[in-house]
Amino acid sequence: MHIAEGFLPPAHAVAWGAASAPFVVHGVRSLTREVREHPESTLLLGASGAFTFVLSALKLPSVTGSCSHPTGTGLGAILFRPPVMAVLGTITLLFQALLLAHGGLTTLGANVFSMAIVGPWAGYGVYRLLRRYDVPLMVAVFCGAFVADLSTYCVTSVQLALAFPDPGSGFLGALGKFGAIFAVTQIPLAVSEGLLTVLVMRLLVQSSKGELTRLGVLLAGNKSEAVAR
Amino acid sequence: MLPIDAAAHSSRWRRRHPVDKAVLGLGLTVLAISLPPWPGAALVLVTALVALLGPAGVPRRRLWRAYRVPLGFCVTGAATLLVQVGGPGGFVSLADEGPVRAGELLLRTSAASLGVLLFAFTTPMSDLLPRLVQAGVPAPVVDVALVTYRMSFLLLDSVRRIRDAQAARLGHTTRAATWRSLAGLGATAFVRAFDRAARLQTGLAGRGYDGTLRVLVPEARVSVRFTAASTALLAALAALTFVLERPLS
Repeated sequence: MHIAEGFLPPAHAVAWGAASAPFVVHGVRSLTREVREHPESTLLLGASGAFTFVLSALKLPSVTGSCSHPTGTGLGAILFRPPVMAVLGTITLLFQALLLAHGGLTTLGANVFSMAIVGPWAGYGVYRLLRRYDVPLMVAVFCGAFVADLSTYCVTSVQLALAFPDPGSGFLGALGKFGAIFAVTQIPLAVSEGLLTVLVMRLLVQSSKGELTRLGVLLAGNKSEAVAR
Repeated sequence: MLPIDAAAHSSRWRRRHPVDKAVLGLGLTVLAISLPPWPGAALVLVTALVALLGPAGVPRRRLWRAYRVPLGFCVTGAATLLVQVGGPGGFVSLADEGPVRAGELLLRTSAASLGVLLFAFTTPMSDLLPRLVQAGVPAPVVDVALVTYRMSFLLLDSVRRIRDAQAARLGHTTRAATWRSLAGLGATAFVRAFDRAARLQTGLAGRGYDGTLRVLVPEARVSVRFTAASTALLAALAALTFVLERPLS
């Protein structure tokens, strides 16, 4: 769920942009350092960005019978790590705003904060935590993707509730209102995205061991164990 | 190529410098969210629509197809303002000022979306991205964005073909088959993306790749006349808004 162009008042748009800036700048610095040290990474990172863009265009069958699309933040964070995802997510959201009319430029900061910062960090945090306690890889991947998806929508609810407090019950009432609307659709979708991410990861472990090892997701010479990065 | 970008490549304003179009299109967006929704956003909406369909020459059908996406989000979002939680009317009741707030929000978002669409429908990404370096974006980030942009079309095309092939093999007939097909689609997109990156790397290495991607950008100069006219139009819209300002209700 991207917040549409012009949906947030100017002060909120600026505030969310300012909140996202340090994370994006940190990601840009990491990416710039990586590219300067290894010029060939430009192509790999570009491919990762394209993969993230295409992943968000896949239609996901929803439990309610309708269709939606995955956020891709969980899988992206596990594969490419959250700082890189902050930059790739920002590029993806910019493309979505200008090429697909999804989201917007004035709401870019708010969308980056929910989809490219909180989602990846929350999902990656859960994934790392579970891996530290030797939880099986696929269970950790499911939980990471589930939390990344759900936290993205929770943050979006908070952003909307702050911008449009309920006339009767203020921020909390609005949070309940937006949260209830999202909960009906997003909890099943978060489960769906978790399942899809597990299926994709299973196939990747079988077919792309080299790439997963290069990204640090798998230990060299071991197909099923993830590195605790 | 995606429809908006394809339209931008054949736009009447294709040869104009992106700064010209940013001043007008993004200026309208900024006005839409800054001015009072009535009559400010309404004036911006009409102006953007006239510019899109008139001088910019965007086909109506293409514009509607792109515009209905953000419009759907706006309507859904605005509908939540019609009700309130708690208060004397019960747990959930109609909000007194709900229709006015929803109407103002709809005006603001639909006008702001048209401003961005004016920019997007006239400025191809391939003209915009290389110029971001001059705007202060680090060159490595712009290079990554350029590769992402060019590779996205190839990947989207691959995904479309794989989906067709899966459908031809009855891959979408049952829910379980749909899930299997979708997972295969995601994994194949990943493999293809990395395979293309590796092949690009090999090809570029053979051509003396030093870490910078040099691309030809069509030459264009910022038109002082166009930007001055756009700024004057924006100023006139702002002035007219304050003259005509009345509550929506």
